[in-house]
Amino acid sequence: MRMAKKETKMQVILAQFDGAEALLDAARGVRDAGYRKFDCHSPYPIHGMNSAMGVTRSYLGFIVGTVAAIGLLGAFYMQYWMSAVDYKVIISGKPFNSFQAFLPVVFALTVLLSAFAAFIGSMMLNRLPRHNHPLFSSANFERVTDDGFFISVESGDPKYELKKTRELLQSLGGVNVEVLET
Amino acid sequence: MMDFRENTFRLSSDRNFGKAALMVGFVGLAGCIAGFAIDRDHFFFSYLTAYAFWLTIGLGGLFFTMLHHLTNATWSVVLRRFSENVMMVLLFLAILFIPIIAGIGNLYHWSHHEIVAGDPVLKEKSLYLNTGFFIIRAVIYVGIWLFLARGLYKTSLAQDKGYAESQTERMKKLSAPGMLLFAFTVTFAAFDWLMSLDAHWYSTAFGVYIFSGSLLSALAFITLVTILLRQKGYLADLITLEHYHDLGKLLFAFTVFWGYIAFAQYFLIWYANIPEETIWYRVRWLGYRPLTLLIVFGHFVIPFVVLISRGAKRNLTVMKIMAVWLLFMHWVDLYWVVMPSHSDRPLVGLWIDIAAMLGIGGLTLWFFWRRMASQPLVPVNDPRLTASAQLISD
Amino acid sequence: MNIKAPDAPNKSEQPLIAGNLTFHDVTEKISGVVESGTPRLWYALISITGLLSLMFFIMLGHLFFTGIGIWGLQIPVGWGFDITNFVFWVGIGHAGTLISAILFLLRQRWRTSINRFAEAMTIFAVICAGIFPAIHVGRPWLLFYVFPVPNQMSIWPNFRSPLLWDFFAVGTYFTCSLLFWYLGMVPDLATIRNRAKNRIKKIIYGIFALGWRGGNRQWRHYELAYLLLAGISTPLVLSVHSVVSTDFSVSILPGWHSTIFPPYFVAGAIFSGFAMVLTLAIIARKVFKLDNYITLNHLDKMNKIILVTGLMVSYSYVVEFFMAWYSGNLYERFTFWSRATGPYAWAFWIMFFCNVVVPQIFWSKRFRAHIAVMFVASILINVGMWFERYVIIVSSLSQDFLPSSWQYFKPTIYDIGMLIGSFGIFLTLFLLFVRFLPMVAMSEVKAVLPQANVHHQGPEAIELETGNVRG
Repeated sequence: MRMAKKETKMQVILAQFDGAEALLDAARGVRDAGYRKFDCHSPYPIHGMNSAMGVTRSYLGFIVGTVAAIGLLGAFYMQYWMSAVDYKVIISGKPFNSFQAFLPVVFALTVLLSAFAAFIGSMMLNRLPRHNHPLFSSANFERVTDDGFFISVESGDPKYELKKTRELLQSLGGVNVEVLET
Repeated sequence: MMDFRENTFRLSSDRNFGKAALMVGFVGLAGCIAGFAIDRDHFFFSYLTAYAFWLTIGLGGLFFTMLHHLTNATWSVVLRRFSENVMMVLLFLAILFIPIIAGIGNLYHWSHHEIVAGDPVLKEKSLYLNTGFFIIRAVIYVGIWLFLARGLYKTSLAQDKGYAESQTERMKKLSAPGMLLFAFTVTFAAFDWLMSLDAHWYSTAFGVYIFSGSLLSALAFITLVTILLRQKGYLADLITLEHYHDLGKLLFAFTVFWGYIAFAQYFLIWYANIPEETIWYRVRWLGYRPLTLLIVFGHFVIPFVVLISRGAKRNLTVMKIMAVWLLFMHWVDLYWVVMPSHSDRPLVGLWIDIAAMLGIGGLTLWFFWRRMASQPLVPVNDPRLTASAQLISD
Repeated sequence: MNIKAPDAPNKSEQPLIAGNLTFHDVTEKISGVVESGTPRLWYALISITGLLSLMFFIMLGHLFFTGIGIWGLQIPVGWGFDITNFVFWVGIGHAGTLISAILFLLRQRWRTSINRFAEAMTIFAVICAGIFPAIHVGRPWLLFYVFPVPNQMSIWPNFRSPLLWDFFAVGTYFTCSLLFWYLGMVPDLATIRNRAKNRIKKIIYGIFALGWRGGNRQWRHYELAYLLLAGISTPLVLSVHSVVSTDFSVSILPGWHSTIFPPYFVAGAIFSGFAMVLTLAIIARKVFKLDNYITLNHLDKMNKIILVTGLMVSYSYVVEFFMAWYSGNLYERFTFWSRATGPYAWAFWIMFFCNVVVPQIFWSKRFRAHIAVMFVASILINVGMWFERYVIIVSSLSQDFLPSSWQYFKPTIYDIGMLIGSFGIFLTLFLLFVRFLPMVAMSEVKAVLPQANVHHQGPEAIELETGNVRG
């Protein structure tokens, strides 16, 4: 038995469950046992899993919203500065600051930046790419992208105790329990 | 399992609201008569604005009902009867079109032979823009709307008596060609009744523009009515927060759609800068600047910013305020379309505008309320009613 | 592992995926296409499309050395096949985004079977589209002027030009579609990574799978990112073709300057795009035996969308013709009259037949389920939509305000060759896609299988009612 605090080596206990419903129930069990650093793996996102695991809704929306606002103002200012401040050219008799004509580009750049924010933001929040996770050492875990449903508990969790955690997972219906290390 | 008997979901016999609406309507009508006596031209423009406001709500209801049938939507089953009742006000509004016929001479300058004779452009158009053909077309439009609305409503009520698969099929069969007829009638009605106020001006997007406002205001109206009923304790377990969330999404989507069409129409005319087209916006910029800005911010920016957030769509107070606000903006929008043909400055004779709104609105709401009270508030025999009530929105 | 017996959420509705498949069946079937040996047919097809692409690039080389005079362009027709092809290809792309983004937001779960390759189609179509405006400028090596980069003239791009908006709109569209497509593919790439027997394959797919572990802590950000990308792609897709339409509609040319152009172009784009998705879906379904995934129900729904958008396009034709007459403007009236009866009447009536008449067959339920009929119709619609852009661009340009300079546009072999060649590029990319990438979104299909339906029972049920916590 070991208490994991700040170790370089990470240990993970992996248990397999029988379908989405079983996984949801087990997730509630693990949550109620007081664990925080655990995850439920499934081939597709399961509805209701966030509250079953006790995690909040993703706050990616705020990141994207902020970046979108920056894109909106930045794109407008760029066009304004280039057309009406830095080098003025009269085109089809329109005002230098033809804000109407700037809107298509404002819109495009806002969308472009938001899309980057959504993509890169989700990757950062997910800590991806990451190719060296202990879970990848399990052959059974390869089924997670096929038809396998798993719960993994990380050694970083304060309540993590190899024996107890394993027993908990087994009592919740987990099979093929494995202890994995990097 | 919920119990959906015919008697379960009815408004109580107390019809205070209907009576109040009728009273307001009569007060408004009295104002209209005074307006007619004092400033006849203005009265007709006020009347047209108010009429267009309530008519477009009814048309939006017709569209939403047909859309519901065509898409086989489950989520909106609980809202179906509301949208059907909204569309049925067209029945009543058909009668209220008569004053507009009486006011053709006051409203449409193409109806005066001496003006047309001295105007080569109007002469070119006189084959289409003449009083007789105008009335014939109006009868056709209204006839088509009534045919669709009555057909859908009758089948829907028959379903309340007893469900049959064939009813659903019939409503679908009516809605598919109905959509096509709707698109053309609404477009040409918009051309005839609103665009031809300035008979020199033309815009191919004008029909879509009126349609976008129409659907938006109908959705706002349905949202408002359901929330108000909910506060009185009706249907709280059928029309849930999830439905309001979806309605909020639709309000948001059609706010954007309206903004898109409105901007596209303005933008192309602004950019091409052809005098006979830009004049329409120039008039509205010179004399109506505060209203123009109010529309840009009130009809687009504010609802966009408010409704974009998930929390706002799931907050009934916010939704109620937004519904009222969008209805108000729809009226401002129509005022802004209609009035510049009559006066150079806005808000002149505002009391007549308000009287017309109250008059037509009061009577229309009374009619609407009577419909609501005479039938169950939801299609009680629709097999998807339970599924609809259990909607989970994301 | 035992999967629970299927428990259909709503028995009255047809299942989205036929054949009572398990999760594993889905994985096997879709990954199988990527993993198994290459069919001979594939080699045969890619040789043909590869040759067509080669022809395109040879002609492109000739164009670079000689100039765009090798096309049939003659003043006043300064835009011919090049811009027609551009608008056509951008339009094709729109259906992909519609399926992946708008139908997603509308909770149309049937989209899961077709969204992956519809998105792929978007990306390849936009690539084809991007080539034409880039080369039509005549001196493509100066194309970097569209970027707002400081240069020795210290002049900036003209932000008041629709051609510049095009660059920004199409560039954004391509980037967003690519991100959306790739993000959606990450879990499926992980599937192929986990199944790969061959080490090199494992590494390559592994790199692109980014170390995906399918944990809910990842899914929750992933799902929101997907939702947000869908949310921003929806106005984007409407804006792109609207911006494309401004290339014409902000001008004062009769037949081009019409305020309905933005929504009309969008409807047309979706119309042609769905026809192209249908063409490709029918072929893919046949060749890879995907009948359970792309069911008749899917095809029926696509045909309905084709009918609806076809009617929108027809509506625009009617309104445009009416307004040309109603405007009382001599030039407007002439342009539209000439379209239907003048030198380009043949193109106009092809367009009319293919875009207005052909989709009407989809009123009939029988034809919506008839593979051969819809296959032919989908191709005709694409022909019609190409001609629509041809009619708009060429007929308006060739007969503008000054009759003395009227000129009939005659395409050269290079015009036609590059049009065909662009199909070669499109199909080559598509063939590479179906061979090496999962063409159906496995993780999404699994989520719509009946056994994926979880009944809310625990404390969430209450939380859901109050709307405080969302799963």
